[in-house]
Amino acid sequence: MELEQTLAKYFGYTTFRPGQREVIEAILAGKDGIALLPTGMGKSLCYQLPGYILQKPVLIVSPLLSLMQDQVEQLKRIGEKRVVALNSFLSLTEKRYALHFLEQYRFIFTSPEMLLQQQVQEKLAKMELSLIVVDEAHCISQWGFDFRPDYLRIGEWFSQEKRPPVLALSATATQKVVNDIRTTLSLHAPFEFMYNVDRPTISLGRVVFADRADKAKWILQHIKETAGPGILYMSSRKRAEQYSEAFTQAGLRVAAYHAGYGAEDRQFIQQQFIDGELDWIVATNAFGMGINKSDIRQVIHETMPANVANYMQEIGRAGRDGEPALAILLYCDGDEELAKFVVTGDLPSASHVDRYQELVRQQVQPSQMLKNGELSETAFRVLAYWSQKESVEQVKARLNQLVLEKYQAVDEMLKITQTKDCIRTQLVGYFGQKLQEKPENCCENCGIHYDEINTERLKEEKKVEMIPWESRLKQLLIGF
Amino acid sequence: MFHQILLQIFHKLNNERTVSAAYHVLRGKRSGQTIQDIGLFQLHNYFGLLPKLPRATFDEAVSTFSQYSWLNMQESGHYSMKKLGLQRAEQTATFLFDGWHYRGNEHAFFARLSLIVQSLSYHRADMHSFSPISKDPQVQAWVRAFLVNHNYQLGHLQQQLFEECQQVLTALPLADRQKQLVLYRLSGHSSPGWTWQQLASERNESVLDSQLAFIELLHTLLNEVHQNSTYALLGQIADGLRIKALLTDSAQQTAQLYEQGYSLEQIVQLRNLKQSTIEDHLVEIAMNEPNFSIGPFVSYEEAEKVWQASKHYQTKKLKALHEVVEGMSYFQLRLVLAKGEV
Repeated sequence: MELEQTLAKYFGYTTFRPGQREVIEAILAGKDGIALLPTGMGKSLCYQLPGYILQKPVLIVSPLLSLMQDQVEQLKRIGEKRVVALNSFLSLTEKRYALHFLEQYRFIFTSPEMLLQQQVQEKLAKMELSLIVVDEAHCISQWGFDFRPDYLRIGEWFSQEKRPPVLALSATATQKVVNDIRTTLSLHAPFEFMYNVDRPTISLGRVVFADRADKAKWILQHIKETAGPGILYMSSRKRAEQYSEAFTQAGLRVAAYHAGYGAEDRQFIQQQFIDGELDWIVATNAFGMGINKSDIRQVIHETMPANVANYMQEIGRAGRDGEPALAILLYCDGDEELAKFVVTGDLPSASHVDRYQELVRQQVQPSQMLKNGELSETAFRVLAYWSQKESVEQVKARLNQLVLEKYQAVDEMLKITQTKDCIRTQLVGYFGQKLQEKPENCCENCGIHYDEINTERLKEEKKVEMIPWESRLKQLLIGF
Repeated sequence: MFHQILLQIFHKLNNERTVSAAYHVLRGKRSGQTIQDIGLFQLHNYFGLLPKLPRATFDEAVSTFSQYSWLNMQESGHYSMKKLGLQRAEQTATFLFDGWHYRGNEHAFFARLSLIVQSLSYHRADMHSFSPISKDPQVQAWVRAFLVNHNYQLGHLQQQLFEECQQVLTALPLADRQKQLVLYRLSGHSSPGWTWQQLASERNESVLDSQLAFIELLHTLLNEVHQNSTYALLGQIADGLRIKALLTDSAQQTAQLYEQGYSLEQIVQLRNLKQSTIEDHLVEIAMNEPNFSIGPFVSYEEAEKVWQASKHYQTKKLKALHEVVEGMSYFQLRLVLAKGEV
């Protein structure tokens, strides 16, 4: 069967998106692969389709539980029943059942933690897989912002002689991270595909302010006067809440979004935004994963993000419908200091390293530190991984190095923020690509006719009002 | 609402405990002391209403109370209600919480209900894919089985559930605004739910107060569903969520041995626990089991003396009672107090 026919039969599409066919053909030819595709561009199809052609199970290693859940749901929705998620959510009985029948599934999702368990390894060693997929592969890079030590540990697992092809997937990857992925996973001359990072329909604006107060004024006015839907990215939860409050007071349809809210609340906001009940989301960088809204017209960064990859990913949420959209980066002297403070705030410090050793000496579980809230979960993961392997001095040196790398990433972002040349050329160049053609309304330095892109906020959108409980109950269950 | 509840708890604790006792009650701490306080001071309603209540939020409320001159704080952590505080406490509304029997399980009920409503709403709109509001695989599996058992594909389930919800909500003696609040925590196709922030600001109160109003409604709803057999669907959704075994696990084991006829001393030996621990268990049992008799440990005359003294001196403090009622152990006093009020 032709690939297109398989595509139509199982997924209902008639054509491939850029890169998908190439990646799939490489896998079917038994090659390793690295596929860098943005979220929402059909990354998962690269292993889902081979799953229907190759007759043995596909193993997908995914570091984020929520993401794993999403993908399992997605497959179930297209009618796939032979799919299982082997994770810590399973009860002992469920896990035993899943392991016993493991070779009968078409898609096996699992976490790096689970993969390190002996019974799981033993079972996998006894069965044949057609393909191993490493999702969110940038987590493997110790320079990545969400480094997962367990991913490093599974590296060994991949170096074995007879193994099926490995496909590494990621939405964000710079050359450095790609190199890390290649070596850590011991990929053999992998086929590499990287999407064209340039998004010609997004104009890249930038506004520089003399001080913070001016910036705040500008934001308030801009949001009042121009039309959404839009995302305003903020550097902290508190600022997101403050701005959202101010906008709400001004009668705008706005909500704050950050990881401090409960899962339901976050989903409510996403749905309100998608349904058009909200015009703006004031968010931290927690917003965006899995958001499927194609008509976002503006993405504004109140301050510099931590690195260029984040910036690209965040502005990439605008204009998915192919219509013109606008990204505006705001800058004021000293913003880079704030960014540096934020990116290293989450790292373990030298005193954490000492304390870890001290606890080990006292034969106390070091995870005590986590329970006491002395540091974040990510920080503890990094600390624990290296402390088990290396001396105090080595760990400290490593952490210093990590801080420097993070500073460097901020400086790279700063360079793009302050450039007097074409911003688009710089951005694309950062990912090792060459800009083919400059669009009209390219960037701040090439010139943007804002009036051509920004639509004025003409009418006062009506705030959604609460209706009586009986009507609401009817609306939910019966309609009208 | 939070302040009113806290004031009521302080009022009931009768200046005889530290402020932390109220905190443990709200968090639903399962320690012997807290469980005893629940029985002694009749705090069942409030038990475990806010399992995640941050200490800072609690402390803030207490210091507000001092500022308002509702109570005096002592260095030992004890407090005493002032006249103004007592007046305010008596003016507070009567709440219909039932923390003792649900202990947070109301959230499990609501997770099931939310996913059922969401599924039915999308199904009615002919949309077969949506992002489930509950990510918990156990809830998802439960709801899937429920929907399949009720042949949701026939399309009648929406109407049935609508009627039951309408009936139960109409029956509840709570304000329409409170029912509205709960309905806005549900979501469906083209009808997203509202966040706590949005609801609280619409209702002009704190997020915590909105959450408490939500819990109160669920408790009354669950009790209504449990007391009447007319709610076929809701009865199933609420199944198994009302706490039956009110004892802690260890006390449960002691209760079993005691029922089999073993004496206190024998249980101490059998279980290889301290005598004081087994005594704690027996007090817990006295409080929770209406059929448990304290007769083997205390005579009726002795019990009568304790009740009189407690009334006369307006106290449930063991130390004070120990001084005025002669010849009785602390264990006996606790048994009498535990049994006396229940």
